[in-house]
Amino acid sequence: MNDDFVRTESLTKVFYDESRGEVMAANAVDIACAAGEILGLLGANGAGKTTTLRMLSTVLRPTSGNAWVMGHEVRDAPERVRENLGFYSASTALYPKITPRETLRFFATVNRYPASKVEARVDDLIRRFRLEAYADTRVERLSSGMKQKVSIARTVAHDPPVLIFDEPTVALDVLNAIELRQIIAELRAEGKAILFSTHIMSEAEKLCDRIAILHGGRILATGTLNELREGTGLHYLEDIFVHFAGVRDEAEAEVRNVMPGPHA
Amino acid sequence: MSVILPILLLPAFLVGMSWMEDRQVQRDEARTFRVAIVGSEAEFARSLLGEASPASRFQWVSVEDPGQALETESLDLYLEAMAPEAWATLVEQGEAEADVIPTELEGVPVFRLHYHSSRTASREGASALQMKLLALREVRRDSLLLGAGFPAPRSEIAVLHTRDVASDEEVQGAMLGRYVTLLLLGLMILGGSALSTDTLAGEKERGTLATLLTSAATRNELVAGKLMAIMAVAFSIALIQVLNLWLFLGLGIIEPPSNLALRVSPELAFLLLVLFLPVIALTAGVLLLASAYANSYKEAQLYLTPVLLGLLAPAMAPMVPDLTLPSAMILVPIANIALAARDLMVGQVHVPSLLASWGVTAAAAVWVTSRSVRALHSEKVVTGDTTREEFLGGPDLFRKRVLRWFLVFWAVKLLLDLNVRFDDIRLSALFSVGLLFLAFPLVVIYYFRLDPRKALALRAPRPGVWIGVLVGAPAGLLAAQGLFRLMQYVIPIPPEVLEGFGQTLLPESIPTWQLLLLLALLPGIVEELTFRGVLLHGLRRRFGTLGLALVVGGIFGFFHFQIFRIPTTAMLGVVLTLVTLYSGSIFPAMAWHVLNNGLAIFLASRGWGESLEGAWLGWVGLAGLILALGIIWVFRTPYPEVGPKAGRGQAPGPDAGRQGETRSASGRASPET
Repeated sequence: MNDDFVRTESLTKVFYDESRGEVMAANAVDIACAAGEILGLLGANGAGKTTTLRMLSTVLRPTSGNAWVMGHEVRDAPERVRENLGFYSASTALYPKITPRETLRFFATVNRYPASKVEARVDDLIRRFRLEAYADTRVERLSSGMKQKVSIARTVAHDPPVLIFDEPTVALDVLNAIELRQIIAELRAEGKAILFSTHIMSEAEKLCDRIAILHGGRILATGTLNELREGTGLHYLEDIFVHFAGVRDEAEAEVRNVMPGPHA
Repeated sequence: MSVILPILLLPAFLVGMSWMEDRQVQRDEARTFRVAIVGSEAEFARSLLGEASPASRFQWVSVEDPGQALETESLDLYLEAMAPEAWATLVEQGEAEADVIPTELEGVPVFRLHYHSSRTASREGASALQMKLLALREVRRDSLLLGAGFPAPRSEIAVLHTRDVASDEEVQGAMLGRYVTLLLLGLMILGGSALSTDTLAGEKERGTLATLLTSAATRNELVAGKLMAIMAVAFSIALIQVLNLWLFLGLGIIEPPSNLALRVSPELAFLLLVLFLPVIALTAGVLLLASAYANSYKEAQLYLTPVLLGLLAPAMAPMVPDLTLPSAMILVPIANIALAARDLMVGQVHVPSLLASWGVTAAAAVWVTSRSVRALHSEKVVTGDTTREEFLGGPDLFRKRVLRWFLVFWAVKLLLDLNVRFDDIRLSALFSVGLLFLAFPLVVIYYFRLDPRKALALRAPRPGVWIGVLVGAPAGLLAAQGLFRLMQYVIPIPPEVLEGFGQTLLPESIPTWQLLLLLALLPGIVEELTFRGVLLHGLRRRFGTLGLALVVGGIFGFFHFQIFRIPTTAMLGVVLTLVTLYSGSIFPAMAWHVLNNGLAIFLASRGWGESLEGAWLGWVGLAGLILALGIIWVFRTPYPEVGPKAGRGQAPGPDAGRQGETRSASGRASPET
């Protein structure tokens, strides 16, 4: 029996692109994330972070390998998987013509939150995310910061045990990004298993309990920041990242876990 | 606004149209035409026209050069009245058409009207003058007849009176019933298109679809929700527009057509609503599907024109003369409901046809909706990338596209058969069978880079199989005769149709050996290459043995376009597919097919066809068929990779060796499908 809320095994995805040919977007990715943990997926653009997370959210089918969310297989039980996770990315937009309250009500219902508790949950989220002032204003009239809050509230509307944040701060200003990270830290404290992808080193350093470094579709290293530092003898995450990416580029290095542990 | 504006604009538009029409009539009635009369018989023409009523709309003018005056618009038209000799000269010079003047009227003057058809005044003036001349001719003819001693004016020879026995409801039903489906569809598409283009294509563009796809809702639930929304909006808008129109007609703001009574009982309205449910669902489904395939709002809008035409064309079925139910139109979605709606409104309902039409259109709606669900399952919705099969092409793509290719081939063959006709059956067989059924598998093999040996099952069967073929071919023929007799109870085929078909296919003027060559040997080979060759090869992993036999056999049947031939040819197709699947080779099916056709031609040429009429022969045939298939099964060499499980765990596919260039940039091995 495994305590991990999320687990992948040799998760692989191949795309076929007219200009680039056959592209191994994710190559035998093995990751795991337990309750109350933030696993950071750190990699440059095109490293395979979004592809991996989309496979976890069942939007993409794995070419090979498998993944489980709360014990449900992404291939065989996609609806059960999606019931148990909330997915947030810069590309997951909100309906502009409805209000935040209607948005939360809709997504709580669609995600099978008990019907009798939906209204109480919506009221709770509005209070928690301080949406009271504009809860009944159409989304299209909100500022980008307000929309971001509504989006996060939408992600957790059905109170899922697993949360996926795919480059959530990419389009945010500094203050909004800080607020978002605070919210994510609070969600960790509530016992959620959180996958957080980013290409911003400082963000991964501050927020993530463990970090998986992705490059060219492969996991090059996984561990806590201290484990990564000890394994490489380098202090800064940026240097650690360049170390692994450089090593792989030079020698097509094998996947290496700096400190094989319970989550490796 | 999209609801309210049309409510106001539609009557405004209709009132505007009515006003313009009235104004046009007034202007036409007030218009006078400037006409010159020229030529050697001008005086005669003037005297003739002088007999016309004094309130003439013609203003007679004199001009030097009427041709020039017509060009410069100082004249609307001119009448050239000439002696018959002048006309003959014009004919000789090639300036006038010969044979215009009937021989019995030789010697009479000729009037020639010159006008300019691109000018309203000239065109209408010519028409009015022509009408006047014809009316004058009638009066003169009558007076001549009377003068010659004919006993009575024409009106007293026979008086004609017409009486329409149709009730007002029937007249109204016949008129309204022709347009009601078209009107409903047009209004629904106009009303629902904005929502449908926004609902999936627009959501892809905005990113809300990505949000929705990561929710716990199933794809079926998403499509069902979207479909119901489009149905509700499109139908509501259509209904509002109809009620709006009804109201304005009722208030007299718009003039209804003279024989439109505008009375529909609540019962009829309810029945029509129930009847139209599958049409509403199908329309919404097609709109949703177009939106599902489009990547953006604008792209979805581009699809609206073909969608509009595709949906409206069958709705025009009631306007086609003599198109009624029951008929093969039952099988055409929307057209069948349009005809049923007309029948319902006229009060002549054929209940089985109505129910069948409802079922067919409902099935079409379900199928179209399932395509939307499938589109939402596609990763293209999110990534926009090509699939592995599309990228690599070759055999994997053929397995995916095989039915699409056969559908296009079927449509092309139908069009060619209808439009390219040869008087000689030999040429027809060479083109329609020989060329098309040989070219198609070759094109498929070349385009998808298939291995011809595998794609056409060019393998040697075990020798015992041939015993089965020799037993099975004549037995199959007897069984087909039996099936045909059974079919007569369900769909009776008039004997003259069968006789005509027999005479076309087996004309007595062509020697039997040529018929055997062109109608037995040739189709026996090339049709097998197409159906038991590439079609079976392409479908082999989709179905089990029985499923393949039914699907391949059914498609083979539908390629024989005469409806009465479909069941028997489909049966032959099922059997030949089983023969190929059991023997692992196409050759026994070819031999069976050649023998089947050859025996039929031979028996017909000897006039022995009637001797196979006995019902018991059908049962003997069926028994022989089972025996033959049993023999082939005993000596079986199974066809490779049959069934949905055959493709799993094999990477790459069996033809992968021929995939050759994969255009791979990474150089990595391709993954398993």
